[in-house]
Amino acid sequence: MLSLIVFLPILAGLVILAVPSSQKQIIRMVSLLAAIAQGVLAVLIWQGYDASLPGITAAAGGAPEGSFQFIERLPWINLDLGTMGSLNIEYFLGVDGLSITMVILTALISIIGVLSSWPIQKQVKGYFILFNLLSTAMMGCFVALDFFLFYVFWELMLLPMYFLIGIWGGPNREYAAIKFFLYTLFGSVFMLLVMIGLYFSVTDPVTGNHTFSLVAMASQENYIKDAILGPDNVMWRYAAFIVLFIGFAIKVPMFPFHTWLPDAHVEAPTPISVILAGVLLKLGTYGMMRINFPLFPEVFQASLYVIAVLGAINIIYGAFCALAQQDLKKMVAYSSISHMGYVLLGLAAANTEGMVGALYQMFNHGTITAMLFLLVGVIYDRAHTRQIDKFGGLASYMPVYAAVVTIAWFASLGLPGLSGFISEAFVFVGAFSSETTRNVAIVSVLGIVFGAAYLLWSLQRMFLGKRKPDAAYDLEVGADGHEHIHFHDWKGKLDLDARELVMLVPLAVIVIFLGIYPMPVLGMLTSSINKLVEVLSPVVMTALN
Amino acid sequence: MHSLIQLSIAVLLLPLLSFVILIFFNKRLPRRGDFIGVGILGTTFALSLYIFWSVVVQAYDPAFRVAWDFTWIDFGNVPGVGPLVIKMGIVIDNLTAIMLAMVTLISFLVHLYSTGYMAGDKHYGRFFAYLGIFTFSMLGIVLSDNLFAIYIFWELVGLSSYLLIGFYFEKDSAADAQKKAFLANRVGDIGMWLGILILYSQFHTFSYQEIFANLAAGKFGMSEAWLTAAGILLFMGCVGKSAQFPLHVWLPDAMEGPTPVSALIHAATMVAAGVYFVARIFVLLTADALHVIAFIGAFTAFMAATIAITQHDIKRVLAYSTVSQLGYMVLGLGVGAYSAALFHLVTHAFFKACLFLGSGAIIHAMHHEQDMRWMGGLRKNMPWTFATFTLATLALAGLPLTSGFMSKDAILAGAIGFANAEGGGIYYLIPFLGFFSAMLTAFYMGRQIWLVFFGESRTHLKPADDHHHGHDAHAAHGHDDHHEEAHGVHEVAWNMRTPLVILAALSIFAVYSPDPLDGAKGWFMSMVPTPETVVGSAPGEAQPHETSSAAGNAAHLLAEAVPGGTHGAETDAHSEGVASEAASEEHGSAAPVHGTTHGEAHGHEFSDPRQAAIAHAAHEAHNPAIVISSIMVVLGISLALIVYVFRIIDPDKTAQSIRPLYLFSFNKWYWDEIYQATFIRGSLVISKVFSWFDTNIIDGIVNGVAVVTKKVAFASGGFDKYVVDGTVNFTAFFVNTTGGILKKLQTGKVQTYVVLLMLAVIGYFVYYFTQLIS
Repeated sequence: MLSLIVFLPILAGLVILAVPSSQKQIIRMVSLLAAIAQGVLAVLIWQGYDASLPGITAAAGGAPEGSFQFIERLPWINLDLGTMGSLNIEYFLGVDGLSITMVILTALISIIGVLSSWPIQKQVKGYFILFNLLSTAMMGCFVALDFFLFYVFWELMLLPMYFLIGIWGGPNREYAAIKFFLYTLFGSVFMLLVMIGLYFSVTDPVTGNHTFSLVAMASQENYIKDAILGPDNVMWRYAAFIVLFIGFAIKVPMFPFHTWLPDAHVEAPTPISVILAGVLLKLGTYGMMRINFPLFPEVFQASLYVIAVLGAINIIYGAFCALAQQDLKKMVAYSSISHMGYVLLGLAAANTEGMVGALYQMFNHGTITAMLFLLVGVIYDRAHTRQIDKFGGLASYMPVYAAVVTIAWFASLGLPGLSGFISEAFVFVGAFSSETTRNVAIVSVLGIVFGAAYLLWSLQRMFLGKRKPDAAYDLEVGADGHEHIHFHDWKGKLDLDARELVMLVPLAVIVIFLGIYPMPVLGMLTSSINKLVEVLSPVVMTALN
Repeated sequence: MHSLIQLSIAVLLLPLLSFVILIFFNKRLPRRGDFIGVGILGTTFALSLYIFWSVVVQAYDPAFRVAWDFTWIDFGNVPGVGPLVIKMGIVIDNLTAIMLAMVTLISFLVHLYSTGYMAGDKHYGRFFAYLGIFTFSMLGIVLSDNLFAIYIFWELVGLSSYLLIGFYFEKDSAADAQKKAFLANRVGDIGMWLGILILYSQFHTFSYQEIFANLAAGKFGMSEAWLTAAGILLFMGCVGKSAQFPLHVWLPDAMEGPTPVSALIHAATMVAAGVYFVARIFVLLTADALHVIAFIGAFTAFMAATIAITQHDIKRVLAYSTVSQLGYMVLGLGVGAYSAALFHLVTHAFFKACLFLGSGAIIHAMHHEQDMRWMGGLRKNMPWTFATFTLATLALAGLPLTSGFMSKDAILAGAIGFANAEGGGIYYLIPFLGFFSAMLTAFYMGRQIWLVFFGESRTHLKPADDHHHGHDAHAAHGHDDHHEEAHGVHEVAWNMRTPLVILAALSIFAVYSPDPLDGAKGWFMSMVPTPETVVGSAPGEAQPHETSSAAGNAAHLLAEAVPGGTHGAETDAHSEGVASEAASEEHGSAAPVHGTTHGEAHGHEFSDPRQAAIAHAAHEAHNPAIVISSIMVVLGISLALIVYVFRIIDPDKTAQSIRPLYLFSFNKWYWDEIYQATFIRGSLVISKVFSWFDTNIIDGIVNGVAVVTKKVAFASGGFDKYVVDGTVNFTAFFVNTTGGILKKLQTGKVQTYVVLLMLAVIGYFVYYFTQLIS
């Protein structure tokens, strides 16, 4: 099941390889079908998922796979290293509450991504092959339970992303692509070192061999006491935690490693922005929750305050930077930075409310930001500019677009009744309840005000009032005596067209529904989060020592 | 589930249904679906009236309470906490029932009124949809049984307010006003949110009832200061929503919305939600928090009243009057006059809605003229409007026989009692500001009535180039009626008149109390008694609603003896022996459970000494308050008569002679300018600085690293090319050259080889023998 959901897109990519590049529609349809099939599989997995099983790690003496579900575990690469033992890499997939939410999100965003790729005209074949490769890599990251396998998927993501930005991007695409590529590579080099160090520090409780299994690594009992990353080697464990954290933080992206994001977004085509913000950023925080924190819980406990402060900087600094932007897409990019800060803050709370809020925020940010970037794409397609001051009064002329924008904007500013509110609320609840992060939480609430400020201000400048004198569109008086909007070389529908509605309406419905009744998502993740909190708690660690 | 709960769920959801239907289908429905909005709200009101009847009239029990909740979020078995669920629920008590009836009635009347007022508007259907979602959110606030739910609905009314203020969004002033309203409210909301977080972090629940029970049991784990902070922070929500100083600036601008909206949201219901919320959390407010609330309320009441006296726009006068009256309610809560404050909330809702709808009728009839300087003489043309407007004005000014008199008097009596009980001094500022503002209220309302309804029409006086009219202009209406004569002004149609009459009727004393001088004898104040604090001077002892008579009486005795309450500053001579000792001992710690029985309490008994002292003193202050406030009202009205009717004092000349003061009032104490220069500009500057920092410093470093890496790469490339490769090439060259030289030896002739071999052998022997010799 999981293998299928991971490799379906690559299969589609292989099919596309056989299709002549002139058959653009077939190429698109194949990709769409693969994405929809992925979605169906995600729903099946969701239906078959038992939310009472926590996952995260294996109980002592229990099955080595713990309570993960949909497990697929096969030996993959076995190398005899002579005196150093052997290298056992497994093909090990499985889901728990942390990953199943992300699997569903990835499947959803992939469908949206394919739909929003429809207008791409340049080298369609190559585009969709890379797109499908990216899709496989993302999904693989979320279900891999072998660190090596995770790393393979993690690196695999870089390549298609690099080309998708570098070839199909805006004017400054090469700079953005290489910045993204190098930044992420920089993080993953260290990850590789830590991974090898971990391999030689952890043994599988059943076989006694060294293992890359994240399930085994998440239990401190499986560490060899005097190994390089064993419990005695405090300094190396701190170093490993820090470099891993930086590796993941770059993806989040966390201040001060965030500047690749606005560039990447501004240059990336709309669907890639959607994927980037919707899924890729979550890999950073997912990696923290799956790998970084549970493998080094005592270092995590010691770093709570620092992580919280970094989260708060993301929230407030990102909001202020967003306030200053003239380019709508750049504003949305900075809003992503701000909103991912809530995730960090929630994780730093290290309690159930905060971590549930963080994981839920990852899901909600995925859906909401996907909407935001799609909506930016809508106006950019028509007006060929994203300068906020080049509009004005759009609400009068594109009422449906304005209505959807209003929903998305208010979702982003955390309006109750929309999903983003609940996750942000519980991030604050958690962060405030933890005495370590309490004062950081108090400062971070400023993000609520400034988040509203930049969103409402942009809403006003683009949609309310009247057309600005130097606007990127004209007004024509139609046959009915009313003024109509006119874009210079836009032949399509002026307000949202059917394809755009098909992408936006389901997202809006999800955002509203999960804002009113969050349990369909929260129900899946609470038991895992409770387990994670337990694994990370200082009580468990002192019991071990 | 209790049948009342079922009904209340219907009441809550029906307006939402109206919203959903109208937002999607209004263009496909006849009359844009306005009958759906009016019909649904009529039904909602009927249901609410039934709830009101069942709870307030039939049950007639001050302690009436039914509640229902369901699990909304289940966190499972949380480490360190145990099973944790977040519940949502509904609670119906007397206050809820009264608020339900009030909100749905006014909402229904405003719906009805809007069918006339908004007729012909481009977005007519959308208007009713927005009214629907507003009503839903407002009812949510009223029905919620927990802090999380009220916060949700709190922000949702903020959203509906945002949408309705900006209903004419093509106008920049409207778009500015809606943004300002939302942001000012958000500032208040973050305070409220932090307050909620403080309480949640201690008890892992949002439920009022559970929080109060935990507080009463003394389980608050943080210091007393945090509890006070929680109270003040929660109150910040009210400061935003109820437009209290310093966040009052949004409300007058909110008048950019259509006038029915001003009546419903920005006068009667939403802005009063702040007061309602403080009432809901009243029992957890510490004495210090209450002091802050009282001073904020008093200052707001005073400040807004001073601004109202100089405004020209009919709606702005009413807006500042609303701010001022909300200040009274907040003041009332702060001084512990809980029932009185809520009483004023309800009476104010009716007469202020009446005033706004009346002003809407005037604006409608005057073709969107809002400036009172160009009105006048309307009493003849609009007799119904005149009569109802006047009645509501009398209630607002607080003249006897009106509802406003009773409620305002009860608040002011509470303020005097509070000042007496707290030991005077600075606390007398609160009743003083209250009474002074009462005079100002009478004055500015007298001025308004006179300018609008009496004298002759001044429409023709309006300068032709004055384009400040039509703040409330419908997009569908033209702007070409500057000089409409007053005789062209007609009374409004029945659908706008009926609401005025009903609301004016509800401003009469008899609706609330048989005694026109004492609201406390009426049903309202009996049914909404002041609750017992859970954080009084006796944490751990005081039990809400379950005070044992012995403890209560003992406390009452103590309280009577110690007017200083928790402060224990002064003691009456006649009971000094018992009380001073007790007061000094029990100060802020535990209530005495010993003590003898005491005589009858004033209606309600408090075990908390401070509350009891204030209640007692307020009761004592009832008669003085009546006298003083009547004098103040008469003074205010007389002043208005002197200035505007008899023209003994010329208002313009007076304004000139005290020009700085006049400008100070006219420019609203310059708060907007101050905020613009500080917070708004400051935020923008910070955002510019951060953005600059981001592109130039952080990205500069990133790009710098790239450049350095590139340089290093070039350098290593150079090294590679010249040094490494140079070495390689040199080796090749060397080998090549030496090879070239050596190859010359490679002649292929055996003789040469033999010679060389011989030379080598000889050389070896020479070497060998030299070694041997040495």
